[in-house]
Amino acid sequence: MIHSTVVRVDQNTPTVRSIGFKWDCKVLPGQFIMVWIPGIGEIPISLSSTGNLKEITVKSYGPASDALTKLETGSRIFFRGPYGRPFTLVKGKTLLIGGGSGMASLKPLINERSYAIVSARTRDELLFSDKIHEGNLHLVTDDGSIGIKGTPLNALEKLNLTEFEMIYVCGPEIMLKKIFDSLRGKKVRAEFAMERTMKCGIGVCDSCSIDGLQLCRDGSIFSMEEVMEMEEFGRTKLSESGRRIILNY
Amino acid sequence: MSNRLQTVISGLRLDNPLILASGILDENGYTMKRILKEGAAAVVTKSIGSAERSGYKPPVVVEIGGGNMINAIGLANPGIENFGNEVKIAREAGKPVIGSIFGADAEEFSNLAKKMASYGVSGIELNLSCPHVKGVGQEIGSDPDLVESIVGEVKRSVNIPVFAKLSPNVSDIMELAKAADRADALVLINTVRAMAIDVYARRPVLSNVYGGLSGPAIKPVGLRYVYEVKKETGKEIIGVGGIQSAEDTLEYIMAGASCVEIGTALHTGGRSVFRAISRDLENLMASEKLDSISDTIGMAIQR
Ligand SMILES: Cc1cc2nc3c(=O)[nH]c(=O)nc-3n(C[C@H](O)[C@H](O)[C@H](O)COP(=O)(O)O)c2cc1C
Ligand code: FES
Repeated sequence: MIHSTVVRVDQNTPTVRSIGFKWDCKVLPGQFIMVWIPGIGEIPISLSSTGNLKEITVKSYGPASDALTKLETGSRIFFRGPYGRPFTLVKGKTLLIGGGSGMASLKPLINERSYAIVSARTRDELLFSDKIHEGNLHLVTDDGSIGIKGTPLNALEKLNLTEFEMIYVCGPEIMLKKIFDSLRGKKVRAEFAMERTMKCGIGVCDSCSIDGLQLCRDGSIFSMEEVMEMEEFGRTKLSESGRRIILNY
Repeated sequence: MSNRLQTVISGLRLDNPLILASGILDENGYTMKRILKEGAAAVVTKSIGSAERSGYKPPVVVEIGGGNMINAIGLANPGIENFGNEVKIAREAGKPVIGSIFGADAEEFSNLAKKMASYGVSGIELNLSCPHVKGVGQEIGSDPDLVESIVGEVKRSVNIPVFAKLSPNVSDIMELAKAADRADALVLINTVRAMAIDVYARRPVLSNVYGGLSGPAIKPVGLRYVYEVKKETGKEIIGVGGIQSAEDTLEYIMAGASCVEIGTALHTGGRSVFRAISRDLENLMASEKLDSISDTIGMAIQR
């Protein structure tokens, strides 16, 4: 287990916090760590900053993530990693599509050439939209409190996709599936950050598998072409016990 | 692959002596199918019980360096009723799938074995040795009478090969090996009971505190059990524990194993370990003038 000290905490939205810590290790955008909260649990989280100061961005949804959001400057943070295969970096214009806390793993990809569709349930929950040039930004909310009311798909339809060298997508699987279906057959390059139950993080337990590939080792970033081959994507996922659950998207 | 690597265990023909060990990437049918396509001669499924179980909360593994790890997954499994489709998907690869099961008594084991057999598996592996789950692990694996009744009952229930996987966490392995004598082959060894403490957190790392040690650190232990049991009983043996290379494989075979299972090496080497070790084994056997696995089994045993 690696340990470090929290050096900064930022409240990004009413429910989301970023926790910064020093870790002298090369980590690439899209890679993740398994963060351990002694006595409570361990969860996979992708790095939202990959520079000298590392950062994770957490929303409370269970005991472990809840404890993480309560860490303060000076607290110890325990983790192992980095794990997973990163996003492919490109030189040209990119489009980032982030749903909810999905923006966290896309954040290290943001530069002057990035455009983004940032979506959330409501305006208060939009994450990292302030990091994107206003002219390149498309906001989407479920409730229409700001930007387009609907899903990222509604914003996507309005864009000329051929101008992007790469489209990076991260969010709930239902959103990935809808975007994948709409990009299918178009001349675009895209990468999807997938989510599955992770337990070991090192490719032994089979809990994160999709079509025989392990998200923790072979992913969690997959290209359009790889997703195309997946029979399980958007159809089934695995419960904590490994039982196959049918998804009805 | 040439014939040199072919081997037979209790009548099951294998293209090479390398089988995926129970519990590592073998809960999902697609995963098993992919591993078979990428070079494993057979797979043993994750140990499956009567009811669905989520297992322990993470941390469920600790990496302790040198390719070794301690795990306490806690027998997470979807339950036997939900497992038929996974076996079906895995079998599409056209190679043997061996169903691993765990239970609390002879009756439960025999019901599980019948159901598993009905899914079309080529053999049954009895997990008599999980080192970290109460009621189905150590208590069973160290009770010779219970082992004898489980093995006997399962043998009466199915007509495919039955393998008994024994625990190294006992004082007298021979007593258990003899108790499991009705099994077609013995599988040696399961993980060694162990733990890890994080001094900075001042507490055990695994949520379950105790787990099972696997990887190169346990190879000498596994090897000794295989050698000892083969020498004393002459039974067919499947060797497991810390195998990462062609030399490791050959060591186990010379100690008396007819084939081996590989688990933790998938962490270090990924799925391609099967292809890589097969290729190296072929070369090693050729350069050592070993023409067949069957002639090599137990070659190192001193009488
Ligand atoms: C993550 C993990 C899960 C395991 N689960 C099981 C299991 O469900 N049933 C079983 O019989 N053995 C289980 N084992 C033990 C392995 O099958 C094997 O006996 C042991 O790991 C030694 O081999 P290795 O050093 O090649 O990993 C597990 C091992 C690991 C590392
Ligand atoms: S989390 Fe265990 S195999 Fe990926």
